[in-house]
Amino acid sequence: MARFLMRRLVLFILALMGISLLIFLALRILPGDVAAVMAGLDAPPERVDRLRRQMGLDRSYPRQYLDWISGFLQGDLGRSILTNRSIASQVGIRAQITFPLILLGLGMALLLGIPLGCAAALARSPRMQSFSHMAAIVGGSVPALWSGLLLIMLFAKGSGLIGLLPSQGFPALGWAQPGQALAALILPALSTGIIVGAGIMRYTRSLLGDMLSSGYVDMGMACGMTRTQAALRIGLRLASPQLVSVIGLTMAEMVTGVMVSENLFALPGLGSMLVTDVGNRDLPAVQSELLLLAAFFLFLGLLVDVVHRLIDPRFRGVARQEVAD
Amino acid sequence: MSWEHTDRPRLGLKAAFPGRLGFLGRMRVVLVSMWCKASGRYSLIVLAIWILVSLVSRFWTPVPIWTTDGYRIWQAPSRTHLLGTDGTGADILSWLMAGSATNLVISLLAVILSGVLGLLLVMAMVSRSSGVSQTVVVLVDALISLPTVLLALILAVPLGPSIAVVVVACGFGYGLNLARIVRPQALLAAESDYVQSARHSGVGSFRIFCTHLVPNIIPVLCVQLSMSAGTSVLAEAGLTYLGVGVPSGLPSWGHSLTTSVKFINVFPLTVLWPGLVVTMVVVALNLFGDALRDAIDPVTNPRFRVAVAASGRSALQSERQTPSAQSDDSGHHVENAIHTGEGGR
Repeated sequence: MARFLMRRLVLFILALMGISLLIFLALRILPGDVAAVMAGLDAPPERVDRLRRQMGLDRSYPRQYLDWISGFLQGDLGRSILTNRSIASQVGIRAQITFPLILLGLGMALLLGIPLGCAAALARSPRMQSFSHMAAIVGGSVPALWSGLLLIMLFAKGSGLIGLLPSQGFPALGWAQPGQALAALILPALSTGIIVGAGIMRYTRSLLGDMLSSGYVDMGMACGMTRTQAALRIGLRLASPQLVSVIGLTMAEMVTGVMVSENLFALPGLGSMLVTDVGNRDLPAVQSELLLLAAFFLFLGLLVDVVHRLIDPRFRGVARQEVAD
Repeated sequence: MSWEHTDRPRLGLKAAFPGRLGFLGRMRVVLVSMWCKASGRYSLIVLAIWILVSLVSRFWTPVPIWTTDGYRIWQAPSRTHLLGTDGTGADILSWLMAGSATNLVISLLAVILSGVLGLLLVMAMVSRSSGVSQTVVVLVDALISLPTVLLALILAVPLGPSIAVVVVACGFGYGLNLARIVRPQALLAAESDYVQSARHSGVGSFRIFCTHLVPNIIPVLCVQLSMSAGTSVLAEAGLTYLGVGVPSGLPSWGHSLTTSVKFINVFPLTVLWPGLVVTMVVVALNLFGDALRDAIDPVTNPRFRVAVAASGRSALQSERQTPSAQSDDSGHHVENAIHTGEGGR
């Protein structure tokens, strides 16, 4: 385990360095002079020079890269070109919307996906089986934008058919009003949760189906459990390591949906901030935010691998890496 | 290659298996078996319509897409505008038709890119040198958690919104995914006896990969690649909405979805169509992969045995009518091939 952790950690750092280089280079290929744009159309050359020095753009590329990374590691994400506000504080405020949204979406996906997947795997009648198969496929094929729009048309307060929930914006006081804040997040979370939940349902169904045809469930039934009991207690538990890694991956894929629904539901989160900054070509903001998000997801991948290892008993006390794959 | 150790001359594939189906024959069997299942039939029909419409839209759309009419915005479906018009007075159906070509190109390119990348990674993963294979495995594990949209955003800053951003981001992400999913199958095949024997008779590793490993992973490949095509359609819609996908002048389904978003409460119908089209196509692509996997496997698809047996029988008959070059020996081979149903592979 320790050796695996070490190797995985080294790789995490290497991957992060690679990504940071990629981000840095991608933003430097950008044609045009950022300082000249910022200074304005008829700015005197001295002013442009001063700005360039101020932003560190006159230094060599390796030097700029090192400055950026060392600042990043110390928690200084730089300042936005447009607003001149500290990016770190902005990210701090906006993360309070995005991360709860991701968690809520994932929670809904799990609540939808795992029970339905189990039910689909346990269903005996062919009609039920094909219906659940189709439900999983259709649910996973709806664009997040469209499901969000349909949810707005159905449930939005004021305009929807069943006006229940707010569909635009986030309460000004934020989490000081927990009820309203949560209500504002339900529809966006649902719109991202449906598509991810359908994916999880599909995987649960196929994993549990494999387990049902393995001997373990038969063994449980021979010991006196019913088929359902055996499948849920033994099969689901045996499938859980793979399920965890699948869920980790789908969580990464959820981000597209989260960004779309942040924009659609007018939530001032990290995703909408990033999209605005990319549109504005706000260089320092974009590079720090991208690296931050990349670091988050790479770390998530690391975490999922470690959890996978921890809950799979076949890895316990085994020194070699390739055992059960 | 030398065949001195066998006393009989080596038979060509056609001579050894007179019932062997050619490429067209196999395609026919695959298509027929897909058509006979409801899900396969649906996916074939939808995909055929998709391709046909994309081709037609290059030359003809009901209304030219750049024709806008300021007096006829947000029109309900009518005789001239079958699906109505959008906020600029452009015909929604025409834009959807024109968009299908863009989406087809994006999906095809993304699938090709991810297939090539995935196969290269798998080749490295099953490589004999454990240094290479372990490095690639761990590298894929580390990079796979990077979301497609982040990659697209990184690329979109220097390139601006373009088709290339969508294709590269999707192709890269799905390629990694493909490699990770295919790897167990490929490893299993790489350790099999026939690969060992091929290796010991001096066949190079690239050739082993192409002739022995790829056929083994084709079922998984079918499912994954067609799912990737579906996901790339979804990704295109999302990325275009975020402003980093297809540029705004180019018709695409994501573009059609995006233009009408702001007015859903007033004109819900305009949003319905593009979403419906995207959902139907993505469902078709998902079903297509499963159906193709079931149809393409010569061991589990019974139609292959029937077809091979029939073609072998007719080959044998024609052989009996003209008894000349073939020896009795190859006839024996044929009986075996038909009997075990191996001839179709």
